[in-house]
Amino acid sequence: MSVLRRVGLALFAPVLAVVVAVVISSAVMAALQVDPLRVFAVMVDFGDTPSQQVTAIVVVLNRAVPLFLAGLAVAIAFRMGLFNIGVEGQYRLATVLAAGVGAAVALPGPLHVLLIVVVAMAVAAIWAGIVAVLKVTRGVSEVISSIMLNVIALGIASYLLTGPLRGSPEGASIISTAEIPESGWMPSLNGVFGVLGLANPPRQLYGFLLVAVVVGVVIAVLLNRTRFGFDLRAAGLSPSAASASGVDSRAMVVKTMLLSGAVAGLIGMPDLLGSTHAYTTDFTSGLGFLGIAVALLGRNKPVGIALGALLFAFLDRSLVPLQIQDFPASVVTIIQGTIVLAVVVANEVARRVARRSAERGSGPAAAVAGDGSTGPGQSTGGPGAGGGEGTGAGVSRTTGAGQRTDERQETGA
Amino acid sequence: MATAGTPAGTPAGLSTGGTGAGSGDGGPAPLAVELRGITKRFPGVVANRDIELRVRRGEVHAIVGENGAGKSTLMKTLYGEHRPDEGQILLDGREVSFRSPADAIAAGIGMVHQHFMLADNFTVLENVVLGSEPTRGGRLDRATARRRITEISERYGLDLRPDDLVEDLGVGDRQRVEIAKVLYRDARTLILDEPTAVLVPQEVDELFGNLAELKREGLTVIFISHKLDEVRKVADAITVIRRGTTVGTADPGTTTARQLAEMMVGTELPSPEIRTSTVRETPVLQLREVTVAAPTGRPPVDAVSLTVREGEVVGIAGVEGNGQAELVDAVMGLRPLAAGTVLLGDDDITAWSTRARREAGLGFIPEDRHRQGMLLDAPLWENRILGHQTRPPAVRGPFIDRRAARADTERIMHDYDVRAPGPDTLAVALSGGNQQKLIVGREMSARPRLLLAAHPTRGVDVGAQGAIWRLLEEARAEGMGILLISADLDELIGLSDTLHVMLRGRLVATLDPSAVTPEELGGHMTGAQTAAGAA
Repeated sequence: MSVLRRVGLALFAPVLAVVVAVVISSAVMAALQVDPLRVFAVMVDFGDTPSQQVTAIVVVLNRAVPLFLAGLAVAIAFRMGLFNIGVEGQYRLATVLAAGVGAAVALPGPLHVLLIVVVAMAVAAIWAGIVAVLKVTRGVSEVISSIMLNVIALGIASYLLTGPLRGSPEGASIISTAEIPESGWMPSLNGVFGVLGLANPPRQLYGFLLVAVVVGVVIAVLLNRTRFGFDLRAAGLSPSAASASGVDSRAMVVKTMLLSGAVAGLIGMPDLLGSTHAYTTDFTSGLGFLGIAVALLGRNKPVGIALGALLFAFLDRSLVPLQIQDFPASVVTIIQGTIVLAVVVANEVARRVARRSAERGSGPAAAVAGDGSTGPGQSTGGPGAGGGEGTGAGVSRTTGAGQRTDERQETGA
Repeated sequence: MATAGTPAGTPAGLSTGGTGAGSGDGGPAPLAVELRGITKRFPGVVANRDIELRVRRGEVHAIVGENGAGKSTLMKTLYGEHRPDEGQILLDGREVSFRSPADAIAAGIGMVHQHFMLADNFTVLENVVLGSEPTRGGRLDRATARRRITEISERYGLDLRPDDLVEDLGVGDRQRVEIAKVLYRDARTLILDEPTAVLVPQEVDELFGNLAELKREGLTVIFISHKLDEVRKVADAITVIRRGTTVGTADPGTTTARQLAEMMVGTELPSPEIRTSTVRETPVLQLREVTVAAPTGRPPVDAVSLTVREGEVVGIAGVEGNGQAELVDAVMGLRPLAAGTVLLGDDDITAWSTRARREAGLGFIPEDRHRQGMLLDAPLWENRILGHQTRPPAVRGPFIDRRAARADTERIMHDYDVRAPGPDTLAVALSGGNQQKLIVGREMSARPRLLLAAHPTRGVDVGAQGAIWRLLEEARAEGMGILLISADLDELIGLSDTLHVMLRGRLVATLDPSAVTPEELGGHMTGAQTAAGAA
């Protein structure tokens, strides 16, 4: 019963958010004189033949893998109260360099793949590490520096692609790096369809799916079961209590950003190793920003992020069918946008409900325990701390706690 | 001065049976505030049950009770923050029903919170009017605001200058700003939630002077406290709350603090007296010329030297803001030293990290448990680990041992009488006293060599206070060294073997706690008394 209740509390906010988003976007569609019901019908229509249906599932999964990794990268930083907007730049720079290195060397199969992955993780970690060093040594807000480093990273990536790492012939419409030799490709998982007795689709299911699952499990264990994870979460919940407990907050910032960056480096790998085998001008972009939305949707917990990534991937898949049916593709963007907004609001509502029930001493409020992003910081402002208690007029004490979270929320939104 | 309006002429007598005595002398004038049979339930608990409260107009009415006894729930009911499940609220004889604090304010009830809610970077004037600004043509009408604030300040002797920045004000001044804020909204009944918890004795006297002024002007004051001596000094009537219900009323003129406390707790009381010395020779903590620098101005901690021996409690007295907090940070390694050395046992720990210091046997009960002692949004078992992340029983190698952490949390809850549903309860759900007992239990469980206890019983009820004092005594008897920083002079005098006074970052006097009175100590703390009288 208590497990049921915890699950219910945990699901409450995201489900509410999705419902609200569907309602709002239906209203928008209706205002644009598009029939929302037909749009939703197209979205859930995965095709008629088994082969088409399996293909649709593969498309969703392939899209979900990088989204999941992006959400995970953002969430790691969120859990300690850091906002890594720089995931976008980190993975783009990492992918172009990994593609370049992968094309330049010849190694036996698994080693070749491993090298590419390690290069990508290292590059992205270093790029994220710059943010951490700036924050720790100079007090630069990670939000500002990571946004600026995004611009720099994209610039460098373009330079590398068009300059030193260019592998496509002069005048080609799509510029790309040299193709990675076949030893550096990751095999697909299409074998499982045979085992499951399903039609083998023409699309390749990324082998990187397995890696992503492993990474998700490792991160979940690291955050929830290890001392390191405890320190990280403690620093996110209350920096002052964490340092009094012996957490070196500066070192923690560096470690967290390195870890977040290393995971960000993996974002481009499913596509690079599974289908494109080169970094091109039309390589998937924007995953870093979508990752923020996915992390919010998943409340910074790996399982939640996986569900959020699947939802976003499902929405993305419907882009093509919608356009075929002559519906505006922006419908999907509208739904995604309203979901994010609704999630931010719903998370806060759920957090307050749970916290209030906890303050009344009724117990289970596990839904809010230890999730960093929407998390409040602590109620500080003890005796003598004077104005720490929010800037309210003091008319209502309950708003005191809320205001503080709102400040954090703004940075998170 | 502070005892203006002694109610010697109208003894209500001590009545522990209910409200009988109150109705006896209830004249024709209706009561300012009357609560009848207030019951408030939260899921799983009854926070208030059949509360009866009768407050006459123009009196200071104290409500005393342990933390968690239901005082705050009751005051929230009266202030409209939630609605009672049963019972009636009557103001001046008329029944009212508040939907929100705004309704309560409109009805003339004002609340001064324990934790101030002021914007530091605003002036007194801006803070007072915030939320109900007088406007002229859409802009803040400063002239009107200033006139009214000056008027309020003069009428009630609050001594406020409207243009001072709040960040420049001391604690006592800030409190008067809060009071002015309430008066500005035309409150006729003021609720003061533990107003003396943050004040030193001299400021308490000033506050009591202000309360007397309020009373003279016919205002009613409801005063929540658990400092019984103060209550007896200032209140005209006392209502005692225990376990969510009113257990009786008392006349401060004829009731002793001890009798009151026994009504509150329902049992015999502990006292902080330690008199058999257990001080041994071996020093556990030595500070040598420890100096903490500030970016500007004089150093907050200036060449402080002291020694804590095994089995010794060294107390540090001082008005808040004289460098105690910085000294604590310096010992914990949370703030770099400009000069000096810190020795734990034989080890020079000056350059050690906080974690290394904790591992070497430094325990810490922080001054502000919400800021430094707990993760409020985390369950109790995670709070058990906090500060002990590298040590058993809660960790095994690089992993958190959840089962052991939960089990050990249950042990602490049992041994240290932490009242909570279980180790998975969020820390925020606990009352202040129970949170503090968990912290004390957690720190004691690691068997530290030196315990740094900053205000260990601040904001804690009498029952928990006695328990914490007893624990400190036991630990001391077993040879733990304790550095005690406190604003509670009775606690300092009662527990310490050696007592230092800190003033403007320096240790200005060393006193013998068995020979000093709270008044003398207060004199040293404010610098009024020089070190000449020191032992």
